[in-house]
Amino acid sequence: MSERTTPHHTHGSEPPPGDPFVPEREGELPPDDWGRRRSGRRTGTVWLFAALITAMAVTHAWFSDQFTGPAFLTWATIFTAICFQALPFLVFGVALSAALTAFVPASAYQRFIPRKASRAVPVAGLSGALLPGCECASVPIAGSLIRRGVAPAAALTFLLAAPSINPIVMIATAVAFAGQPEMVLARFVASLLAAVVIGWIWVRFGRTEWLRLPSRQPVPGESKWRVFRESMVHDMMHAGGYLVVGGLAAATINVMVPREWLLTVAGMPIVSVLVLALLAILLSICSEADAFVALSLTDFSPTAKLAFMVVGPVVDLKLIAMQAGVFGWRFTVRFVPLCLVVALAATFLIGGLLL
Amino acid sequence: MNRIAQGLTLVLLGAAALTATVPTDLYLNWVKPAFQPFLIAAGLVMVVLGVWLVVAELRGEAAEADHDHGGHAGNDAAVAEAYGHGGDHGHDHSTAPRVAWLLLLPVLAVFVVAPPALGSYTVQNTATESAAPPERERSGQFDDGLVEASEGEVVPLELRQFVMRAWIDEDRLLAERTVELTGFAVPADDGGWYLARLQMACCAADAVVNKVLIDDVPAPEADSWWTVRGTWVEPEGELYDVNEHRFSVTELEEVTDPPDPYE
Repeated sequence: MSERTTPHHTHGSEPPPGDPFVPEREGELPPDDWGRRRSGRRTGTVWLFAALITAMAVTHAWFSDQFTGPAFLTWATIFTAICFQALPFLVFGVALSAALTAFVPASAYQRFIPRKASRAVPVAGLSGALLPGCECASVPIAGSLIRRGVAPAAALTFLLAAPSINPIVMIATAVAFAGQPEMVLARFVASLLAAVVIGWIWVRFGRTEWLRLPSRQPVPGESKWRVFRESMVHDMMHAGGYLVVGGLAAATINVMVPREWLLTVAGMPIVSVLVLALLAILLSICSEADAFVALSLTDFSPTAKLAFMVVGPVVDLKLIAMQAGVFGWRFTVRFVPLCLVVALAATFLIGGLLL
Repeated sequence: MNRIAQGLTLVLLGAAALTATVPTDLYLNWVKPAFQPFLIAAGLVMVVLGVWLVVAELRGEAAEADHDHGGHAGNDAAVAEAYGHGGDHGHDHSTAPRVAWLLLLPVLAVFVVAPPALGSYTVQNTATESAAPPERERSGQFDDGLVEASEGEVVPLELRQFVMRAWIDEDRLLAERTVELTGFAVPADDGGWYLARLQMACCAADAVVNKVLIDDVPAPEADSWWTVRGTWVEPEGELYDVNEHRFSVTELEEVTDPPDPYE
């Protein structure tokens, strides 16, 4: 580590502002306890990462043969798969949301999005059909929309609609359910309906203080690229950390729950719908892939499969964790049950009408 | 989590994504091949962002700490180290929550465990089995080239395609044709074994099993890969009611793991 050996001749003549712990300097080298708290912490951080990398190399070289338990490896594969499948979407969503924050002036939103929240909600729902991404991308984007003054209800509707009805998801659903256009239609209508209704409920009953608004507010005069960087790092750390939490939970469920359990309830009309909704929440499959999994659950009724595809993109473990990271728990404990109830109601309604 | 730690975490995560895609094919164990360019792009973005953050942190703090020495600022980590966090201008708003440390878990997974492709354990314990599509869409959707192949020719099929034929082709065109299948061995309960392959739509979490039952050759070791030639054992009665697709082997050859373990 070169910083350990470099002489500290570049020390300023004045103590840096806000730092009372500047040691007296005698001779070329500062005394042993020269390090200030934060500076020491930074060195510590670098050493910590150096130790981590070394430990990884050592473990990989000497102990990787020890990882042979098939259950553990299956779990590790699914965990890694969920993380790396979500990663490009997360990075894309975070970059787009940072760009919206840094480069698009707030006035631009006011031109496109109706001022009145109840009218902004359906607009936001339909514009969800434009963003090709999954739920990992939409959480940070919704955060940045709220930050730029879009009504929270509209941003939340967008958050729900974007992963549910975007073109990639609709195409994937059409491919999976080839020959059943009514399933594709039912998914689109039920998801959009759920997103818009949830938005309207939020307009009526939601409170802004439940939202822990993203902390990063651009300071006037700050360089735009700096705003971009700060916003991107902030969202990566919050949404990304919780994405990993969701991935851990989903991988555990995926390995622990035998699929035979499902078959025993497949025949019961309402229970089967609820069970597939629960399964969608627990498995946290990306909305672009869930149609294929729904298709494979052949013993279940079409309405139950619809529930799997409508509930999954709006409520799942990964998403709950990410929402908690971006908006805070006070918001999440209210929003998630609301989403679940409305999504199920939309499923039963549209499933009853179309399927 | 301070800003240096955030930057280094991003660099490591990006490095993990790049390591899994560029020098190795590890990513094929977890996601579809189509993800490669996106993973590379995401990896690069994270490395750049992480380096940018660390450099800006060291350089920015140093420059703001003491303008007299602006020329030295940002030379290397040592300079900023000397300055410490002199410019204490309120970066505390950007410390990350503790949960962000978990971003190192995927890094550990890639560099330490390097999880393999799903195999026989998944087939036996957890995965959903592939299913026949509903009755009304059962025609004209085979993509397997069985019809185009001339009579007597060995037709290579994916297990997915074979199972689809065996399940829904009411014309039973598969009968008496020699086909070639590749997959891994999974022990079955009653003496035989399955040749299986996992089909995935997006990532390993949504993998679905396709498998055929073989009982005329002794079971090989679980998870070993084989290319088999042989014929479909035509079932009695309705195809749709069949739950095990049987296969009769004439030739059997062990293969090294195919580059993409999934279909």
